[in-house]
Amino acid sequence: MAQSYDAVVIGGGHNGLVSAAYLARAGMRTLVLEKRHVLGGAAVTEEIFPGFRFSVFSYVVSLLRPEIIRDLELPRHGLDILPLDGTMTPLHKGEGPKAGGGDYLWRVNDHGRTIRELRRWSASDAEAYEEYGQLMVEMARFIKPILAITPPDLTSLDPRPMLPLAALARRFQGLPQPQQAVFVQLMTMSASEFLDQWFETDPLKATMSASGIIGTYQGVKSPGTAYVLLHHYMGEIDGAFRAWGIPKGGTGGVSNAIGSAARALGAEIRTNAPVANVIVKGGRAVGVALESGEEIHADAILSSLDSRQTFLGLLESGTLDPSFEEEVKRFKFRGSSGKVNLAVDRLPDFTSLPGVGEHLRGAISFSPSIDDMETAYDDAKYGHFSRRPYIDMIIPTLVDPTMAPPGKHVISCFVQYAPYKLAPELGTWDDQREAFGDAVIDRIAEFAPNIRDIILHRNIQTPLDIERTTGLTEGNIFQGELSLEQLFFNRPVPGYARFKTPVRDLWLCGSATHPGGGIMGANGRIAALEVLKARGRKAA
Amino acid sequence: MATTGVNGNHYDAIVIGGGHNGLVTAAYLGKAGLRTVVLERRETLGGAVGTSELAPGARVPTLAHTVGRLRPSVVRDLDLKRHGLSLVGPDVRVFAPGPDGSAVVLWGDVARTAEGLRARSAADADAYPGFDHLVRSLSGFLGEIAGRTPPDIESPGLGDALAGLQLGRTFRGLGRDHGRTITRVLPMAIADFVAESFESDALQAAIAWRGVQYTSMGPWSAGTTAVLLTDSAGNDGGAAGQTVYARGGPGALIAALEAAATATGVEIRTGAEVAHITSRDGRATGVALAGGEELTARAVVAGIDPKRALTGLADPVAVGPSLLWRAGNIRTPGTVAKVNLVLAGSPTFPAAGGDARLLRGRIVIAPGIDAMERAHDAAKFGRPSDEPIMEATIPSLTDPSLVEGAAPGTQVMSVIVQSAPRTLRDGTWDDAREGFGDRVVKTLEAHAPGLTALVTAREVITPLDLERDFGLTGGHPMHGEHGLDQFFLWRPLLGHARYRLALDGLYLAGAGAHPGGGVTGQNGQNAAREIVSDLRKRRR
Repeated sequence: MAQSYDAVVIGGGHNGLVSAAYLARAGMRTLVLEKRHVLGGAAVTEEIFPGFRFSVFSYVVSLLRPEIIRDLELPRHGLDILPLDGTMTPLHKGEGPKAGGGDYLWRVNDHGRTIRELRRWSASDAEAYEEYGQLMVEMARFIKPILAITPPDLTSLDPRPMLPLAALARRFQGLPQPQQAVFVQLMTMSASEFLDQWFETDPLKATMSASGIIGTYQGVKSPGTAYVLLHHYMGEIDGAFRAWGIPKGGTGGVSNAIGSAARALGAEIRTNAPVANVIVKGGRAVGVALESGEEIHADAILSSLDSRQTFLGLLESGTLDPSFEEEVKRFKFRGSSGKVNLAVDRLPDFTSLPGVGEHLRGAISFSPSIDDMETAYDDAKYGHFSRRPYIDMIIPTLVDPTMAPPGKHVISCFVQYAPYKLAPELGTWDDQREAFGDAVIDRIAEFAPNIRDIILHRNIQTPLDIERTTGLTEGNIFQGELSLEQLFFNRPVPGYARFKTPVRDLWLCGSATHPGGGIMGANGRIAALEVLKARGRKAA
Repeated sequence: MATTGVNGNHYDAIVIGGGHNGLVTAAYLGKAGLRTVVLERRETLGGAVGTSELAPGARVPTLAHTVGRLRPSVVRDLDLKRHGLSLVGPDVRVFAPGPDGSAVVLWGDVARTAEGLRARSAADADAYPGFDHLVRSLSGFLGEIAGRTPPDIESPGLGDALAGLQLGRTFRGLGRDHGRTITRVLPMAIADFVAESFESDALQAAIAWRGVQYTSMGPWSAGTTAVLLTDSAGNDGGAAGQTVYARGGPGALIAALEAAATATGVEIRTGAEVAHITSRDGRATGVALAGGEELTARAVVAGIDPKRALTGLADPVAVGPSLLWRAGNIRTPGTVAKVNLVLAGSPTFPAAGGDARLLRGRIVIAPGIDAMERAHDAAKFGRPSDEPIMEATIPSLTDPSLVEGAAPGTQVMSVIVQSAPRTLRDGTWDDAREGFGDRVVKTLEAHAPGLTALVTAREVITPLDLERDFGLTGGHPMHGEHGLDQFFLWRPLLGHARYRLALDGLYLAGAGAHPGGGVTGQNGQNAAREIVSDLRKRRR
C-alpha cells in the first residue's frame, strides 16, 4: 500500500524547498524528494577535499526574496548572510588611470571612498555613478512586483490574469518619462551600450557589464543583457551598494535553513530518493515512482526540475501533445559557465595591490576591459571555452573561516565562458576539463602570479559536470537561458508560464519558470501559492 | 486649402530633407491643400534613393537598389504610376552562392523554391512552405502595425490597451498559436529563428541575411528576427524577401514623387541647407537657411534623422537637457558600405550553372551563419571584415535602360556591404576606402571568376561618406539602429514615437520614426496623417 501525501515536491533545491515550506505552512502534507545525499541542488556546500568546504556551484546570494526570509523565519533556522565588501578589478601594469595610482579599480560599500576612487579615473564617471546608482535602485523598485506576478497568457480570452499587467502598465505611466525610457532600454539593450550612456571608464563598464552576462550565453554587447544587469541588481534594492553576500556555511547554508524551516512547518524531506517518473492516470498526475520502485501518491506534484527534465524525463512519451513537446525541446539551455574551486595554503598576491588586505574580502572581478569580455564571448560562440575568461573570484574563508582548516583558504572562481557544446575538434568536456582549469589559472596568474604556488587542490566544474551532478540540463545554472524570448509569458513554454502544466495536478516550481534563476526562491513561492489557490486553500 | 500668407516665406509646412519620406510627406500635405516647401541640402533630391551615372551611359543605383517595400497605398494615393513610376520584379528573389559551388535559390513562388531546396535537404524543402506561411502571418501583423501611429503612452487607456492586447483585433487575428509565437520570436536571434525550421546552414544564412542587413548586429544578436519580420512586413510578406526595381533606377521613384508633389503645388528647393530650426516659447516656428534666409511655418517636418534634428538643428534650450541627452544617445552605428561597379559584360557565377536568370534577383553572399557572425565580430571591434557579407544586384539585367548609352554588353552591379563600421580603430575611411573596395571585389571574384577583369568603373561609398555627403548621422542608412531598443513605441524615443518630436509644431517623417528604415514611404505617410490632423485642429 503506497504512501500518500497532499503534495510531493520533486527536487530538494532551494526552490523546491521553498515550495514545500509554503505548502506545509498552509497545512498540506508535503514530501520533498531529493535524488542526492545532500539538499540544495545547485545551492549546496560540500567538503570536496578533507577540511575544505565549498559552495560547489553557486557562490553568492542577494536575490533571495525578503518576503521569503520573513515568512519562513529563515534567520531562526540558521540563515546568516555575511556581506561581501565591494568589487576589485585588477589590471595589468600601466592600465591604471594616467593620473597615477594603482593599476586597479576598486569599489567598496563605502560610497564616499568609491566616488573618490572613481574620480581617480574620471570626474564625469564619478558624478554619473551617483545618478546611475539611484536610477537603478528606482528601476529595481519598479520591476520588483513583476517578480511576484504570475505571467498572463496573452492569447487567453480570460481577462483576469491580465489585470496585474494592467496595473503594471499604470505604474509604468506613473514614472517620469526619462525613467520610462531607461526601463525600456533595460529590457532591450546590451549591457555595454546601456552603460556607455553614463560611463567612459573601460574597466568600470567591463566590471559592471559582467552582471549582464552571468549565467547567459551572450556577450556584454548582445542585446538583452541589460535586462540581466537589472536582474542581478534586484538584490541591491533593499541594501546599499552591491548587497551581495555569502551565506555562512556556503550556499548550502541557505538550502539547509529553508529545509529546516520546511521541516519545522511539517514537511517531510527524503534525500537519496531519485524519482524515476511521474505517474499519470487519466490525464492527471497522481503520484511518483522512485527509482527504487517505490510508489508515492499525491494530489499535487510539483517539479523543481527544469522543463526538459520534467516533461521529457519524468513523463512517458505520448503523455504530452506533440506540439507542446516541440516547444519544450525548443527552450534553450546552453550552459555557458564553469566553476573552479581552489584549496590554497596562502592568499593570492595581486601585483597591482600587493599583500593581504580588505581588497581580498569582496569580489575580485577579472574584467579589465569591454574588449576582453567580448572576446571571451567570441571564443565561446564558436564552441571554445574562453582562452582568457572572465572570472568572478571570492575568498569565502576571509569572511567565514569555518570553510577551511586554520590558516588555509578556499577560493571560488565563477568562470565564463564555458559553452556546454564544444566544437567538434575539442572533443568532450572530459577531454578539456584540465585545459579549461589551466586557462583559468593562467588568467588569474596574469594579475596574481603566486596563484600557481599556493594551490593545494583544484576542483573543476564544467557545464557537463554541473549537468551530471545537479541534473541541470546542459549545465545552465538558471534552468534555461535568460534571453528575452524566454522570459515572463514564454518561460518555460509559451502559454504555460503560470506554473501549471498540460498534465493536471503537475506543476513547475523551479528556476525554469518566471522570474528565472538565481538564489531567489520567488519561483518556488509563487508556484506554491498558485497550487494553494487551485486547491482552494488559503496561504497561511 | 492653403493659407496665402502675406509673407511669401510663410508656409503651412516646411519639410527638411528631400529624401523619399520627405517627398512622400510633402506630397500628402500638398494633397491636403497645405502650402508646403521641401528643403534639400544637396543638389539632387532623393537622399539615399537615387541613380547616378558612374560611367558614360551606365547608371547605377547610388545606394538603395530595390524598392519592393514601397507601400502600395502610397503608390495609389499619390498616383505615382501616372507620374512615371514603373516597377519590374524578376521571378527570382535571392541567389545565394556558397563556397562549395552550390547555391540556394529563393523564388517568389513558394513551391518552386521548396522543390529547388529538395536536392540540398528534403526536410528543409518540406519545412519551407510552413516557414513562409509563418513569416507571412507574423509580418502581416507587423505590417498592420506599421501603418498605424504608435499608441500614446500618456493616454490613461494605455494600461488597459496593453492589458487588453489579447482582445486586440489584429493580435487575435494571429490566432492563438501565432499570437504566442510572435511574443516569443520578435526578440529572438535570427540564427535561432531559422534554425527552428531549417537544417541547412546555407539556407539558414540566405534567409537570415535580411535579419542583419543595415544593422550593426550579427545573426546571434537578439532582435534580429524582428528586423527580418519588419522587412517582410514591407513587401509581399514572404520568406524570400522582395526584389523589385524601379525602371530607370531608384532615382525614377524620386522623380515620380517629385512630380506628384509639385503637381499638388508643393515647392521644392535643392541646394537649400537648413542651418537651424527656429522656435519660440517651445514651439517650432520655421527654419533659418545657411544663406541666412528665414522661412516660417506652422509645421516643421524633419525628413532627416532625429539625432541630427534634435542635437544639430533644434534650439538646445527649447529641447531641454534631459531630452537632449536622450537624443544624443540615439544609436546610429552605421556598418554599411556601398560598392557600385560598371562591368564590360555579364559576370558568370558557376553556382548558377549558366542560368543567367538567377542573377536577376538579389545575389546574397553570406556563406553560413558563423561566417555572418565572424564578419560582425570584426566590425564590432572597429575593423572592416576581411570576409565581408554582401547583397549584390545587377539591375541592368532586368532593366536594360540603365545601360542604354553604354557600350553593348555593359552591365551595372550594385553591392550593399555589411560589416563596415563607421568608426575605425585604426586609420580613417578615406585611407581604407579603396582597400575595402578591393576586398569586396575579391569576395565577388571568388564566386564569379573573371569578374574583376570585367570592372571598368568602380565607386566605393563608405559609412563616412554616408555621413559627410548624405548627412546620415553615424553613416546609418536607417536613421537609427533597427534594434529592439529603438522599435515601435520607442522609435526614435519613448514619448516621441507619434511623429511629433520634442517641440510643438516639430515633426519627424523619416526612417528614424516608426516603422523604421527602408524604401517604404510608410513613415512619410503616417507623419503626414498626423500633421494634417494637428493643423486642422489648430485652425479651429
